[in-house]
This record gives sequence, structure tokens and C-alpha cells, in this order.
Amino acid sequence: MAMDRRDTFKLAGVAAAAAVIPTMATASEKKVAAKKATGKSVVIIGAGFGGLTMAKALRKSDKSIEVTLIEKRSMHMACPLSNGLLGGLDNMSLSMFVGDYGQPAMKHGYTFVNSEVMSIDRKAKTVTTSTAGDIAYDILVLSPGIAYDYEKQFPKWDATKIAHVTQACPAALMPGNEHIALKRQLENMDDGNVYIVPPAKGKFRCPPAPYERTAMIANYLKNEGIKGKVIVLDTRGGKFAKAAAFKESWKDLFADFIEYKGLTEVTDIDPVAKTITFTEFKDVDDEKGTVKTEKYEVCNLIPNNKCSPVIAMADIEHNGAGYAMMDGYSFRSKSDKNVYVIGDAVTHKIPPSGQTAIWGAHRATGQIVAQLNGKVKDTKEGLPAKAANVCFSMVGGKPEEAIMVTHTFTADKSGVLKGAGNVPKPKDGKGKFRSAGTAKATREWFGGVMREMFA
Amino acid sequence: MKRRSFLKISASTAAAVAVSPSLIAETLKSEDGKALFKAYEKVQLKDAEGNPLKASKLVKEENYVFMYPHAATPAILVDLPEPTQKEVKLKAEDGTEYIYTSGSGSKGTIVAFSAICAHQLTHPQKAMSMFQYVPTTGKTLAYEKPGVFVCSSHLAAYDPKQGGKVVGGPANQGLASIVLEIDKDDNIWAVAVLGPNKFQEFFDAFKTEHKAEFGRRGAKKLIATEAKVVTLKNYSAELIQA
Repeated sequence: MAMDRRDTFKLAGVAAAAAVIPTMATASEKKVAAKKATGKSVVIIGAGFGGLTMAKALRKSDKSIEVTLIEKRSMHMACPLSNGLLGGLDNMSLSMFVGDYGQPAMKHGYTFVNSEVMSIDRKAKTVTTSTAGDIAYDILVLSPGIAYDYEKQFPKWDATKIAHVTQACPAALMPGNEHIALKRQLENMDDGNVYIVPPAKGKFRCPPAPYERTAMIANYLKNEGIKGKVIVLDTRGGKFAKAAAFKESWKDLFADFIEYKGLTEVTDIDPVAKTITFTEFKDVDDEKGTVKTEKYEVCNLIPNNKCSPVIAMADIEHNGAGYAMMDGYSFRSKSDKNVYVIGDAVTHKIPPSGQTAIWGAHRATGQIVAQLNGKVKDTKEGLPAKAANVCFSMVGGKPEEAIMVTHTFTADKSGVLKGAGNVPKPKDGKGKFRSAGTAKATREWFGGVMREMFA
Repeated sequence: MKRRSFLKISASTAAAVAVSPSLIAETLKSEDGKALFKAYEKVQLKDAEGNPLKASKLVKEENYVFMYPHAATPAILVDLPEPTQKEVKLKAEDGTEYIYTSGSGSKGTIVAFSAICAHQLTHPQKAMSMFQYVPTTGKTLAYEKPGVFVCSSHLAAYDPKQGGKVVGGPANQGLASIVLEIDKDDNIWAVAVLGPNKFQEFFDAFKTEHKAEFGRRGAKKLIATEAKVVTLKNYSAELIQA
């Protein structure tokens, strides 16, 4: 085909028209009548790493698919690397972590709806929102993320106490207000003060987060010249994500600032007196333990996680903590062939990280595009996937140094996807797990994931 | 492809570029039906002193950087230890299939790829590079064997012997390749881009950085006549490779 000048103009015209299709609904908009599904309508609930990646990927793969992305928050904040912000790393500001939802929606031609999902009717195939009416779908994608499970972890606490602790002891696993509150509290610290981190038990978002945070808080105290301490009240007995690499860095860089207690159970917090009560066990055979109370200035309680209630709202099969049961190695719900689940809400045995959410969103996109075009995609295609997850943690500030882990994802015999990790020593690490080059890679990684979602 | 047909395409796409390079969907085909093929200015590769780069003088497995086809879009040329495969069938993210013919040079070992990672646009920068060809004597976390292009920030791996195909990590499509011609005097020319390129996304994502380095419109300027080639270790102050 030799293109002549006329064709060229036509082509440019088409592309220009395609670039201005998107529409946006905002919370202020009046209730609108249910929009009919087109036969190729995909509705995504949750605009985190999974949802944002998928909305763009679907539009890029097949322009005939109409995509609606629903999110209750009006602004996106990324969680990865946010411990660096808390730790006061150089050249890091809140603006690096935020993005507006309108920009990618307009650019890629999907609809962003800033509203909360109130109910899901899988029979009628509609999603009811708080402000934008009912939205019909052919395929529904759930990417709702996590929720905190204070209720199960502290059965004696009533709703008032939970609300009080939530505000007074910000977890900062769900980005936004919690991070800002925690940073403010950290900046109030003085000589002799204690910063307490009790990591969640069981599956929780971003498994290295509490340990990276420990290093970054220590970095903050050291650089500010505050003679304070970070105390980790763990339940894992030292067996946590990238443990050897974290411990090496803690010891080399912040030995005077970090105290790690591996076998504890937090039983109560008094946010007025600022005390935390916990039982400390000598070893795994010690069933009784010793009850201790510690005075703190900042208590960064990371509560046990459960899945967002949106999965239960969709009434699809889920496990005890609310995470969706999957159809084999796919990202489809076990209960409904028109419902997909991505991000932290899945029961695949893969680490709940930002990059995993992006990886899963792309896998699911391929599966959805095939389904909408009457095809079937092999759910084992490309498996095992080497370095499907790459996860960096900042461990030092001056100089900036980081560690990393990579995961290979495989089709496990148990019938779901499974990740196997490897913590490498970098070439520029002089035998250590951490290096300055890895820290640069961390920043580049972060730039990349933000481009994935917003560019 | 015969030279004559190449020139024809060059003329028609030059007209297209004049309209708006950014709005053209990358589904152009060459006259002989090659998908995702786009001819640009024919540009001679020259060394830092301005002397023509000679194909037979290339250091095996060295990373050579040059800007092509735009002033801000880096490409990496490598003389591989072994010839590439021939007529490799590849598929872009949107399903478009295209064919990588082969490497250039007398043995088919000389390749060049757009050095913008197809995953999330990591590329060689002056301060540092995380994107590079890892020689067969090296080691990478991204793939079981070296001899691949690797982005060390998200561990994407691309095999130059298979036309830049993704062989590891998170990318959904391969690298765009820079089509080279080597003339009878051993000179190397860049003539076209084959495969799904990331140029527009790259310009969108790095607007601020490009403005600082190239001025308001300089980044998209098409390279004309000649392109300066430097080794990656001289181009980037620091190389980071996992």
C-alpha cells in the first residue's frame, strides 16, 4: 500500500477524532439513567494500581471495548516508595505520589466515575453508585483492594475505640490521609521517644512495608539527630519478607535505633495515655509469655488485613478473609464467568504488591479481550513468568540504598498462581544486599509504574 | 526489501510526517506488505569525531548508543556474537503481526533496537542507564541466559536474536528495531523503524525532561543526514544492571 497525500489526511483526521471521545462523570453530577451495556462494556471498580492499569490496557488492546472506571476517592496516591517520604529522603515530595484520574481517562478514552459503589446486581449486570446512578456491564472487574480488620484482631474493642485507634495510630497501608497523619506524628518526635511498629499477622498488603518503614523511620531519626528508637513488635520470629537483607541493613546502618522483637502479640492500645500492651514470648514453645507495656510517641499499628467488602457485595465465592476465589490460573471469579478480580483481592498465592497488581491487570486484560471477542486465552500462557514481580525497599538514606526481591510466578499444583521469591545481591553491593544502584533502580521503578497508570 | 521500493515508501511517509507525526496510528505498511514498518530519514552513523562508523570495526557486544529517529529517542546498536534468526514472526500488544527479517552485516550479526523499554519506557539517560544489552559473558536476573537486552528497573528481557522479542519480565510486546543498511564501503545507515514503537508515549511521559534538554520542540525533531554514535559507558555516567 503506497499511501498518498489524501489518505494521510484521512488517517490524521480519524486519529484526531478518536482522541476526543472520553466523557467524565463527577460526584456533583445528577443521578443519570442506567447506561445500556454495548455488548463490549467493561466496568472496573477501584482505581488503584490494578484498575488504572487495566482501564488503559483494555482501551489500548481493543478500541471497541467501552470502559468505565469507578473510584470513590477523587485523587490517586501511590503507596510504593511512600516510606521514603516518611523517612525524609532527599528530593521526595508528596507531589511525586499523586495523580489525577481525569488525565489518563481522557487520554485513553475511558470514562472515570468518581463515586462509591453501593450494590452490585450480577443478574441484572448493573452496578449501583452513590451519585452516578446504575451502570450496566458485560464484564465486571473488581479491583477494590484491602480493608483493615481491627474487629477480629481486637475483639474487645468497640466501634468507638476502633475509630479512635484508627485516627490516633495511623496504619498507612492505604495511601492518603494516613500517611500525612503519620508524617506529622513522626515530626513531633523528640529525644527518648519511641516509635512502635506492630506489623499485621497473616496476608497483608506489601509484605516488606513494615520493615522498610522501620529502616526509613530510623533514617529519619538518625538524620534529624533525634535519640529515639523504633521498636518492631512482630509475630513472625524474624521470618519476614527480604528478612536477611533488612536485618543486614538495620545492623550496619541503624543498630542504635532499631529494636526487633520477633515473638509478640499486641493485646491493647491506650491512645490517650499513649501506651501499648503486648505479650512477649521467649520462643515458640513459650505459651504463656510475659505481659509488657511500652510508652510510645508514635504507634504505627498495622492491623490485620481483610479484603475490601466489595467482593462480598458482588456475592462471589470468597475465603474467610473476603478474598475472591479464582477460576484456576485465570483472574476470573470462580462463581461468575463475567466477573474478574485483580490486585490484592485475589486468592492467588502471589505477593500483594503494586507490580503484581499491574501484572495481573495485564493478564486479566488479555483474558477479557479474548472473551469479548469470542475467543479463549490459555491461562497458562507465558508461565512460569520470571521476574513477574520486582519489589524494591529503601533501607538507607545517606547514601540512598535499597534492596530488592524478584518473584517467578508459576501455575502451581494447588490450582492457583504461586510466586517464588529470590533476594539477589547487587553487582555494586560489595557483597551486601543493599546498594546505591538498587536505590536508583527503585526510583526508576516508581517512575515507571506511575507512567503505566498515568501516561 | 529492494532499494527502490524503500525510496517510494520514504517519500509517502515523509508526507505523512509533515501532517503530524504524533497522530499517525502505527499500522503503516511498506509496499511489500510489511506491517509496522515506517521509513524515516536515511541517516549515516558516525563516531564522536565525525568519522563514518565501519561495520567491520565494531567491537563485539559493545552497546553503541545513537539517537534515532527523533532527537530524543535513543537506540542501541550491537554486533552480536552470532547471527540473528531470520524471518521472525512477532506480535505487537494490539495483535498486529510483523516480521523481523534478520540482522545486518555480512554475517547478519549487527542489530539495532529502539532503547525505550516497551514496558514502562525506561531508557538510557545521561546520568545513568538501566537499559542495555547484557553481553553473553554477563549475568542478569531478568532471563536465564545473558545476550539479551535488559531493563533493570522492572527486569524486562528482550532477545535481539529473535528481533527484540520479549523473553522475560513484564513487557507485553517486543522492542522496535531500527532497520539498518550497510553499504559496500562498510558504512552503516539507519533507515527505518520496524515494530511497535513507543515514541509518542515517550514524548508524553517525559515532556518536562525533554523540554529542559531539547527546548520546547527539539525532542521530536527528526534526525537528518547523520547520527553520532557513542558507547553506552561514555553516554551514561553510570550503568546499573541487575
